[in-house]
Amino acid sequence: MLNVGETTGDAFKRSVWVLAVMSIVLLFGCREQTNPTEPVADGAMRIVSMAPNLTEILFALGLDDEVVGVTRHCNYPPQALTKPKIGTFWQPDVEAVLAGRPTLVIAEDFAQQRQLTEQLERLGCATLTVKIETIAQLYDGILSIGQAVGRIEQAQTLISRLKAAQDVLQTSIADQPPLKVLWVIQRQPLRVAGTKTFINEMIEAVGGVNAIGPTVNVYPPISAEDVIAAWPDVIIEPANMPNSREAQTRSAGEFYAAFRSVPAVRNKRVYVIDGDLVSRLSPRLDQSLAEIARCLRQD
Amino acid sequence: MDLTPNKLWIRILAATAFLFAAIAVCLLIGSVPVSLFDALRGPTHDGQSNIPYEIIVHYRLPRMVLAAIIGAALAASGCVFQAILRNPLADPYILGISSGAGLGTLAAVLLGWSWTVFGMSAMMLTAFAGALATTWLVWGVGRAAGRANITGLLLAGVVVNAFLSSVIMFLTSIARADQVQTTMFWLMGSISEMQQVEVIAASGLLTAAGVGVLLRLGPSLNMLSFGADEAAALGLSVSRTCAAAFAVAALMTSLAVCLGGLVGFVGLIVPHAVRLVAGPDHRQLIPVSALVGAAFVVIADTVARVVVAPAMLPVGVVTAMVGGPFFLILLVRYMRNLHWQVK
Repeated sequence: MLNVGETTGDAFKRSVWVLAVMSIVLLFGCREQTNPTEPVADGAMRIVSMAPNLTEILFALGLDDEVVGVTRHCNYPPQALTKPKIGTFWQPDVEAVLAGRPTLVIAEDFAQQRQLTEQLERLGCATLTVKIETIAQLYDGILSIGQAVGRIEQAQTLISRLKAAQDVLQTSIADQPPLKVLWVIQRQPLRVAGTKTFINEMIEAVGGVNAIGPTVNVYPPISAEDVIAAWPDVIIEPANMPNSREAQTRSAGEFYAAFRSVPAVRNKRVYVIDGDLVSRLSPRLDQSLAEIARCLRQD
Repeated sequence: MDLTPNKLWIRILAATAFLFAAIAVCLLIGSVPVSLFDALRGPTHDGQSNIPYEIIVHYRLPRMVLAAIIGAALAASGCVFQAILRNPLADPYILGISSGAGLGTLAAVLLGWSWTVFGMSAMMLTAFAGALATTWLVWGVGRAAGRANITGLLLAGVVVNAFLSSVIMFLTSIARADQVQTTMFWLMGSISEMQQVEVIAASGLLTAAGVGVLLRLGPSLNMLSFGADEAAALGLSVSRTCAAAFAVAALMTSLAVCLGGLVGFVGLIVPHAVRLVAGPDHRQLIPVSALVGAAFVVIADTVARVVVAPAMLPVGVVTAMVGGPFFLILLVRYMRNLHWQVK
C-alpha cells in the first residue's frame, strides 16, 4: 500500500526492486528445480526409493546414508522410518521426490510409478525401473540395483545367501507330502492369493501347494463353497497392519468357525503371520520362507 | 387387459413356480460338483460329516434364500418408486439410498470396525444406518420443497446422491488399497454365505410383510398412476399414500442393501419387464415383480458363483450384464404393451 507522502516515482522504483529481487529468487529456485540431478557438494549418491521392498534392498546393500527418500509405508529396516517421505507407492509426490535432490530414483514397474519416472526423466533425473513380481525377478532386481549404485559384489553376496537359504528349505522338505495352503488376503469378501502370484511361488518353495486352482483374477474373490472345495490343510492370513496381528488372530477363530469341516480349521491350523514380511518380495525372502515353512511344519 | 382374480392368482402361482424352479436348479449348480443323492444322506455319512449335504444346506441354500430376499425387496420397491415418482427411470436407489449406504460401509471399513451383532457385520449395519439416514434427509428436504411435490423430492435425491458420492470418492482416494477393494466389491453388489439363520429368517419376514403392505396400497398406486390431481379428485389422500409407500419401499431397499450391497438393475428392469409382459396393474405388478426379482437374483448369483470359478464375480455385474440385453429383447417384443395407466 502506498504512503500518503510517497510520490509515484518512489513507488515505481520500489516495484522495480521488488520485481528484481523476486526474479532472482525465482531464477535460483528454478535452477534448483530443473537440475535435480546436479551433484551436491560432496558428490555423494542420493537415492529415492518408491516402494517398501526397494527400500529394503537398498538398506541390505548397505546404502543407509545414500537413501534420501522413501514411501510412507517403508517401515523396514527401522532406520527407514527416519528418512524423508515422498508419498505412497500408489500416490507418489513428485515435488517431495525433487526436494530430496536425488541422483537416482528407483521405482517399480507399475503405471503410477512409470508416470512419475517419465516426468523425472524429462527433468533430467536418472531413474531405474525394476519389475519384481516373482522370486527370479527379485534376484534380477537386486542385481540391477546393485549395478546402478555400484554395489555389485554386495548384491551378488545377498543373492547367493537367499538362494542358499531357499535350497536348504527345498532339501528339508523333499520327502514330505505337499500340504494344501489357502492364503487369505482379505475376509470381506473372501479373497485369496491365486496361482499367478509370488505367494504361490513361496508356498511351493516350502513344499506346499496352493489350495485354489488357476483363476482369471490374480487375487480372486472366492465363495465359501470354494473354501470347502479347496479343502485346505493350512490357512495362512498375513496381518493387514503391523499392529493388527493379535486382533486378527483373535477374530480368526470366530470367522473360520463357519468352515469347521475343513481340515485346516478342524486341526486348528489357521495362522495369522506378519504381513509386512511375507507380502513383500524383499531381501528378507529367507525369513518369509522360514515363517511360511513354520506354518506348514507345525503339527 | 382386465385383471380378474383368477388371472391374478394364476400369474402369482406361475411366478412362484418359476422362483422355486430357479432355486431347485441353482442349488445343484456350483463350483463343486455335488450330487443330490449324496446330499440326501443327511448331515453325517459313515461317521464323517457329509460334505455334499453341508455345501447344499449350509452354503448354497442360505445364500440363495438371501439372494431371493434381496431380489424381491428391490423389485417390489422399484415398482413403488416408479409409481410414486411417476418416472420410468426411477429405481430403488434413485433417492440417494445407494450413496448413503455406500458411505456407511466405507466408514465402517475405514474405521476398521470388524465387530458383528447377531452375525451382521459392522459394514452391513452402517450401510443400513446410512441408507435410512439418507432416506430421511431426502424426504425431509423434499417435503420442505412442497407437499406432494415430486420434482422437489427427485431433485433432493439427485443432489444428495451426488454430494454423498463425492464424499465417497474423497474417502476412496485417501484409503488403503485393501480397504478400497473391500468397498468396491460391496458397491458392485456381493452376496455372502456368512449369515445367521435368524438374520435370514428375520429379513425374509420383513420383506414379506413389506410386500404385503405395498400390496394393500396397490389400488391407491393404481389411482396415482393417472397423476396426483386426478388421484386426489378420485378421493385419494395422495400425500399419505406417497408417504406410506415411500417409507415401506425405502425400508425394504435399505434391508436389501444391508444384506447384499448395491445389486443394481433389478429394481429398474424387473418391474418394467413384468409391466411389459403382464400389464401395469399394481395389485399384480408388486407381487409378481417381487417373485420374478427374487428368481432373477437367484439365477444371477449362481452365474456369478460359477462363471469364473473358483473365483466369483460381484452379483451386480451379472444382473446388469444379463438383465440389460434380456430387457431390450422384452422391450422390442412387447413394445405395444408399453403404457402406465390401468385401463
